[in-house]
Amino acid sequence: MSSADPAGARDTRSLIERVFREEAGRLTASLVRLLGDFDLAEEMVSEAVVEALRRWPSSGPPSRPGAWLLTCARNRALDRIRRDARFRDRLPQLAARIEALPETAEREPDDRLRLIFTCCHPALDPDAQVALTLRAVVGLTTAEIARAFMVPEATLAKRITRAKQKIATAGIPYRAPEPEERAARLPQVMRVVYLVFNEGCFTTGGDLGVRRELVDDAEWLAALLAGSLPREPEPLALLALIRLHAARWAARLDGGGRLVPLADQDRTRWDTRRIRSATALIERAAALGRPGPYQIEAAIAAVHCEAPDWKDTDWPQLLRLYDMLLAVDPSPVVRLNRAVVISHTDGPAAALAQVEALADQLGRYHLFHATRAALLRDLGRDQEAAEADRKALGLTTNPAERSLLTARLAQ
Amino acid sequence: MKYVLLLTRGAWQEEGSDQERGEVYGRLVEWFAKHRADGTIVDAQQLREPGTATTVVVEQGRSTMIDRPLLEAKEAIGGYAVVEAPDLDAALELAASFPVPDGKVEVRPVVER
Repeated sequence: MSSADPAGARDTRSLIERVFREEAGRLTASLVRLLGDFDLAEEMVSEAVVEALRRWPSSGPPSRPGAWLLTCARNRALDRIRRDARFRDRLPQLAARIEALPETAEREPDDRLRLIFTCCHPALDPDAQVALTLRAVVGLTTAEIARAFMVPEATLAKRITRAKQKIATAGIPYRAPEPEERAARLPQVMRVVYLVFNEGCFTTGGDLGVRRELVDDAEWLAALLAGSLPREPEPLALLALIRLHAARWAARLDGGGRLVPLADQDRTRWDTRRIRSATALIERAAALGRPGPYQIEAAIAAVHCEAPDWKDTDWPQLLRLYDMLLAVDPSPVVRLNRAVVISHTDGPAAALAQVEALADQLGRYHLFHATRAALLRDLGRDQEAAEADRKALGLTTNPAERSLLTARLAQ
Repeated sequence: MKYVLLLTRGAWQEEGSDQERGEVYGRLVEWFAKHRADGTIVDAQQLREPGTATTVVVEQGRSTMIDRPLLEAKEAIGGYAVVEAPDLDAALELAASFPVPDGKVEVRPVVER
């Protein structure tokens, strides 16, 4: 946005963005269910947003922006189906149901659940499942999704288009799976929610460089899954994990919008009520007697949240948890995080050796270079540390992370 | 919706005793009969061995012939079924119930005109 924009227009845009985020996903989900067509549903909703962008700056935003957007999308959908031959046979029923769409979808979470499971259908390529859910359910842009995946935007766009086409032409049904097949399809859905949460923490744009709304979206999706599958431990743990990160939110950024590392956070600003709620969820999950990766990750986050300060963190317990995590998820990113724990149990030299072994796999991941920089600095190798920080800086567009790295380089 | 199930041959067709193969064929006959009777399977055929196949290649208006099937031996097509199913889930469920010890089933929607 150019600095010549009047402040009013900027406020209106951020309002539209917020409303869009809250309402568009739900609205799209409802329209997909009724029309059976992703592209058409998304088109209706984005036309309504374009209309809002055109009108609100001069007329001022309406008193209930969500309702305005719904009415606008609804009218466009009605207009469109009347002209589209595909809907001729069932026009009266469809029109009645579109007119009856509720103002807030809080009352019908089923639509979103149905949409998530459709986007995560096993007949779709796993990467496409994640991309499509982020696009259709959460309303992320292809650029944001591309970054979460570390793939080029064009590749991502193609992946989403192909997935939508397959849903339509191969006849993938728009429904949530039956209870007995749900458990088998759940891990993929949880991975999607996890990525949404991840994108919320380390996002590309937004005023503060972090988009709390995305974390809230992820928490909402996780709560939806946990609520509909009360006897599955992993959704409970995923919800706990997200909640533990949300609990530390206020301490994550300093006054200047700069990311504060966990070690330096003011722990009195953590939300203890949220932490208690999350640990209760972890206990509920554990009581079901089936451990899994999200339960381990939530336990790791809980160890951090329960430590009075950084140096009194229970590092040996963390190392045990990371070893368990590595056994179920031997990914390079888990190894990188485990190396940070190693630096506290065995010293920075041991940790650095483990980090450097990951160079081939994580060379394009900014946190690889940032972690390496911190370890090099601990070892007094300041020149190399600065070099690694510069590499990290070149690989992230997140303003909060950039200002942290820039400050570190200036020291 | 209409789908075609492309059925590959399986190792079971080359291995095992005659009796074991006989049992599998018995189950297959039953499976086809059941799904033909309920109207799911519209048409189905078993193909002769891949060794009997000839592939015709058309290039720049001229055709040549190759004395082998189109696909690699390990994914040689052994038969096909045209099925009528309410959605992909139903077609996939039918494919997964194909009663053979091993093999692959491609499920592909048909262009309906």
